[in-house]
Amino acid sequence: MSSRTLPRLLQTPAVIMLLIWMLIPLGMTLYFSFIRYVLNSLRRPEWTTPSFTNWRGFGNYEFVMNSKDFLFAIQNSLFIVGSILFLTVILGVLIAVLINKAFPGQGLVRVMLISPFFIMPAVNAVLWINMILDPVLGLNGLAVEGINNIIASMHDAPLVGWFFSLWPKIDPISFRATQTSAYAVIIMVTWQWTPFAVLIFMTSLQSEDEQQKEAAILDGAGKWSQFRFLTLPHLGRPIAIVVMIQAIFHLSLYAEIEIVSRGNGNKNLPYLIGEFANNNIGAASATGIFAVILANIIAIFLLRMVGKTLME
Amino acid sequence: MAIVAQTSKLGTVGRPILAWIVALLFFFPIFWLIFTSFKTDADAVKPEFLFFFTPTLDNYLNMTENYDYWRFATNSVITSVLATAVALFVGIPAAYAMAFNPTRRTKDVLMWMLSTKMLPAAAVLYPMTFLAKGIGLFDTHFVIIIVLALINLPIVVWMLFTYFKEIPKDIIEAGQMDGVNTWGEIKEILIPLAWGGIASTALLCFIFCWNEAYWTVRLTTTDAATLSKLIEGNRAPEGLFFGRLSAVSAAAVGPIVVLGWFCQKQLVQGLTFGAVK
Repeated sequence: MSSRTLPRLLQTPAVIMLLIWMLIPLGMTLYFSFIRYVLNSLRRPEWTTPSFTNWRGFGNYEFVMNSKDFLFAIQNSLFIVGSILFLTVILGVLIAVLINKAFPGQGLVRVMLISPFFIMPAVNAVLWINMILDPVLGLNGLAVEGINNIIASMHDAPLVGWFFSLWPKIDPISFRATQTSAYAVIIMVTWQWTPFAVLIFMTSLQSEDEQQKEAAILDGAGKWSQFRFLTLPHLGRPIAIVVMIQAIFHLSLYAEIEIVSRGNGNKNLPYLIGEFANNNIGAASATGIFAVILANIIAIFLLRMVGKTLME
Repeated sequence: MAIVAQTSKLGTVGRPILAWIVALLFFFPIFWLIFTSFKTDADAVKPEFLFFFTPTLDNYLNMTENYDYWRFATNSVITSVLATAVALFVGIPAAYAMAFNPTRRTKDVLMWMLSTKMLPAAAVLYPMTFLAKGIGLFDTHFVIIIVLALINLPIVVWMLFTYFKEIPKDIIEAGQMDGVNTWGEIKEILIPLAWGGIASTALLCFIFCWNEAYWTVRLTTTDAATLSKLIEGNRAPEGLFFGRLSAVSAAAVGPIVVLGWFCQKQLVQGLTFGAVK
């Protein structure tokens, strides 16, 4: 027995704890997904206790796939995650390049920019949907009302009054409808996670090869070609990492969806699971297995892409 | 030969201005939250008091009465601090083993740990509730501490691993020559050397625990409910309580935002697993 055995064994508590954490609940989800299991049933009280005698095979999976919300929830999950990734990466690169060079107050600008990242999701959602996006009482509603009032006051103006009286009254967008509440979620999460992308891209930009850049300037390369052929390739790896980490977090987005949509139809997979779990545990579990499969497909794809660069 | 500065006049003036505008836009919602927290509930929804109003501290003074803020805040502190302690207690030995005594499997184990983060929490929602209720731990600090420690353990191990890797192996081995045992190596050599890294790992873990909003909401009702649960429970004020809700929200995020300012650099290292420096 080598003297290195004990030190090597020191990783086992962490490994075992994570194994238990993964396997037991996941095993139960798998089991529940194959049986009939509901929390309340007057007609079939035997379904309220989990048992192999209530075996349903792939019945729960069929039920979930045929439910009208399932495809929508998957599409919506992907739409929300995809939009957030797209916006945060583009905004992140632009802002990082913008604030990378020293200027007066750079430190304070950084502090202000990073702050949204530390806001807890519940506060983020409550703040945006009520104080900012609410169509009546939020800034959204107040701003639209202000514009309407200005236009109305111009109706009686000499010469140009007829022009303004042709303008329709603007309605504020309500962010509580099915589709628009997805936009609200995208806006608030993008606000929260763009700082994260900025921070990582900025850190990476600081290690950019300045000599290479100077050589390019001497060769007459313009701003755009410096950005396109030097900066952007340099940011390749950080972009991949930002995409991976955000995909992990946003696939299980929950608090924002729950607070913003309040059951108005804007669902993602975690939300659908929560809905089923109010009574139909079998269906909730089958949906959970679908969510795991979806996360795994994306994870394998992403780990292939960035896993190697992480380990070098 | 001097390099001719390419920046035009517009660039030297325009860039900082644009940067300031962007930063102010991003900070605006937080500013607005704090701003609204000084309005009375009645003023908060009146357009005529949008910018000019008589500031009041009542929303903060009445936080206990309105929301029982301190009880939730205490729960947040207890669960976040203890979960961070548990994660470090398990994570430090693990990262030590991986950094200084790697085997052929170490890389696979690290990747596997990362992959557990990708398991969507919602998939195991009901089993977790079922287990917690079954062993009588539902709505206890204990279950929240364990869950928070476990969901952050992969990130803690990864972060510590990247910090420990930077420490020259010779120093640890010199300790072995002097006949120090494994615990001594960790306690007397590793922890003092990696103090900065351990502290920033702890800070980041604490922030994540504080902001966690799935299990803290789903596995608690009252006794162990944290600030996430408090805010989530008051999500729909219908315009009646904008002032007081802003105050309690600002009090819930304030300490963490300030902590966050101090660990920006560590955040990058920690969240990118040392791949971006």
